[in-house]
Amino acid sequence: MRRAARRVRARAGRGRGQAVRGGAGGRGRQRSPLAGRVRGVSEACPERVRGVSEACPRRVRSVSAACPGRSAPCPGPVRPGGGAAMQREVGTLPLAPALRARLAAAGFQTAQELLDTGPCGLSKEIGISREEALEALQVVRQECQGDAARTAGGSGATRKCTALELLEEEQTQGFIITFCSALDNILGGGVQLTKITEICGAPGVGKTQLCMQLAVDVQIPECFGGVAGEAVFIDTEGSFMVDRVVEIAAACVQHCHLIAEAQQEEDHGKALETFSLENILSHIYYFRCRDYTELLAQVYLLPEFLAEHSKVRLVVIDGIAFPFRHDFEDLSLRTRLLNGLAQQLIILANDHKAAVVLTNQMTTRIGQSQATLVPALGESWGHAATVRLIFHWDNSQRLATLYKSPSQKESTIAYHITSHGFRDVQPPAVTHSTEGTQLNPRKRPRTEEEKQQ
Amino acid sequence: MAAKKLRRAQLSQEMCERLSRYQITTCQDFLCLSLLELMKVTGQSYYEVQKLLCKVSRACAPKMQTAYEMKLRKSVNPSSAFLSTTLHSLDRVLNGGVPCGSLTEITSPPGCGKTQFCIMLSVLATLPVSMGGLGGAVIYIDTESAFSAERLIEIAASRFLTYFDSDEKLLCMTRSIHVYRELTCCCVLKRIMSLEEEIISKKVKLIIIDSVASVVRKEFDTKLQGNLAERSNFLTRGASVLKYLAEEFSIPVILTNQITTSLSSGPAIQADLVSPADDLSLSEGSSVSGKRDSGCVTAALGNTWSHSVNTRLILQYHDLPTRQLLVAKSPVAPFSTFFYTIEKSGLVLQDRKDQTSLVWEGTNPALQPIRVRNTALKDTFHDAALPSTTGETSRNTSNL
Repeated sequence: MRRAARRVRARAGRGRGQAVRGGAGGRGRQRSPLAGRVRGVSEACPERVRGVSEACPRRVRSVSAACPGRSAPCPGPVRPGGGAAMQREVGTLPLAPALRARLAAAGFQTAQELLDTGPCGLSKEIGISREEALEALQVVRQECQGDAARTAGGSGATRKCTALELLEEEQTQGFIITFCSALDNILGGGVQLTKITEICGAPGVGKTQLCMQLAVDVQIPECFGGVAGEAVFIDTEGSFMVDRVVEIAAACVQHCHLIAEAQQEEDHGKALETFSLENILSHIYYFRCRDYTELLAQVYLLPEFLAEHSKVRLVVIDGIAFPFRHDFEDLSLRTRLLNGLAQQLIILANDHKAAVVLTNQMTTRIGQSQATLVPALGESWGHAATVRLIFHWDNSQRLATLYKSPSQKESTIAYHITSHGFRDVQPPAVTHSTEGTQLNPRKRPRTEEEKQQ
Repeated sequence: MAAKKLRRAQLSQEMCERLSRYQITTCQDFLCLSLLELMKVTGQSYYEVQKLLCKVSRACAPKMQTAYEMKLRKSVNPSSAFLSTTLHSLDRVLNGGVPCGSLTEITSPPGCGKTQFCIMLSVLATLPVSMGGLGGAVIYIDTESAFSAERLIEIAASRFLTYFDSDEKLLCMTRSIHVYRELTCCCVLKRIMSLEEEIISKKVKLIIIDSVASVVRKEFDTKLQGNLAERSNFLTRGASVLKYLAEEFSIPVILTNQITTSLSSGPAIQADLVSPADDLSLSEGSSVSGKRDSGCVTAALGNTWSHSVNTRLILQYHDLPTRQLLVAKSPVAPFSTFFYTIEKSGLVLQDRKDQTSLVWEGTNPALQPIRVRNTALKDTFHDAALPSTTGETSRNTSNL
């Protein structure tokens, strides 16, 4: 997608109506008489290799001589070669713009030409130093290697897979529970990993409370039904209260203790040793961003942070609206920055298998005769999140509505904020316990908790 | 942090010069550009630009702390986490008192006791730590010219009889309360921005702004186009500066607000009401929609402002002279109500025998109905906060 976009731009930039070089870039643009071809692989190929194959009698791209034509996904063509990647246009390579302009002026068109010229020749022809030429060639080579690996079906940036693989992945994936079983039900199990969930709500309705609850719940050990991860909490409004997190964490630990007593399994005891208040608090990484610049900077640095702390399974940004709602005369800049943020968060969620939770404010939209409360940041922001929850009031009852979800239907439930945190309105009835234990073995009736109060 | 110059972000000198030719001098300008624009502006390759981005981000990103470190820091100095209001039931519910490091808002109809509460809190802040105060100075930004120094002395003398036994102590206390009279939005904002240095030099431990609503409502008429956005802009900017000050110096910030009428199906109408039936615009609104909309009196300044404050206390009328204090929004306290009267020594809580009805079912803090003074039109008002006799208690225990 990136390369196609660049090619379009490069073409536009050059102002020449030059057609795309014969199927270059490995996408197999050439029309083929074969029907039902999958991404450049011939249907008729007996080996069904995703990528290049010597054995494929109808190979439509240049192939690597060394490839034996295996039936497993091809790890990539053998160097030298890379075949189609070498036909890439110079304008699409990630070199400095000034350098690209010079190369175009000198008449270079494909990456192969550059590599054939060599650093000395290149430096003489364009008039740059040998070191710069060498650097440029290294970038080109790296880029083409990356391309070739991608087109040969290697794993990495393309994230190409069949729906069956996705289904298997989704079924084994964990959810972050919220301790409110009604909310978990409408979400299909809880907050999903690798997706962005947005929580919009009126002031004081419980968004930050839910975020703090999730930051504790993500750390629940696997034997209790959690994902045993760590949490990153990015706070832009200053509403994070450590004392409250301590209360919520203490209640969670107690809940797990009670389950362990009731079920008496071995690994429960071991898990409980590490699931203590100190550990929970030490694994919540807190960042306080005062304005949108700090927020942008922090999100740029997050991939690095998550690579170091590989157990992080939840990123909470509490108050994505607040820093963007003042000091912005240029609304198009705001839209652009928000979209950039959303994209980076999606990549983050996918790469690190983390759930991203954002909270948004509500704003008043004045219509003709009515004023309605709508989520802030505009219509275009609504596309950023995969799952959208709206928390609102109905007199004195707090309600949560699932507003947008790709897999669950829209519904509304009621919830409560107690001193223990985010909870259901009523305890689940004891008569349903057999059903309940099948679906949610970690949920137990709340009667004991109520008595303790 | 945003205005940090790129020079200090450890970019090379020539890179900074090159960027300044495009008017990119601060981290904020740098981070607002997309990758392609950055490539054009810096003349570097894609990978180099990503490295530069990381460098600049590191220069302005916040430091990481774990929740455990935060807790340890708080437990080291527990008394500095709140300002006790000496209204014991309120303090208990708020986990100690008015929290430090966040914004607390006090909303009420006129004459209910906002300014009295603020004056009382300023006295408390000047008390030494051993007596439950913060032992520091107070900055009082007064926009309505309602601050009365005589009342201040009266409250101090009658509330802390034993401590303020000499005139000397009273004068010392008054010297540490700095009152600024600002009458326009612009002046208020400028004053807030300049507070940082004053806080350090005068060792300020409490900031009070009485009131935010009066300046804002004088200058922004939300019926005019564009004014709503500008008002929100001003308010969020003020709120973010105040939050920064509150957190940086770990001090409480107290703001006062007024009331407005919000029709259930119309935009909030700005009015300092005595009774809604007197207000002409209300009847206009109801005639448009055809049926009688029951409007309710709520806190002013809208939704955005309700998001910005962390704690909201509502003062409203009960049976005169008794008044009622509601905790309408708080991250640590449940919805609670208390009864109080205003006496010589400031606010005094009344101990009611029906203590269990102190917890009530609240609603959206931005739309919480507030009871105003004129009790003649009782049926017009929503009385969600008024505890009923028996039904309330059984409902409340099931909430917890």
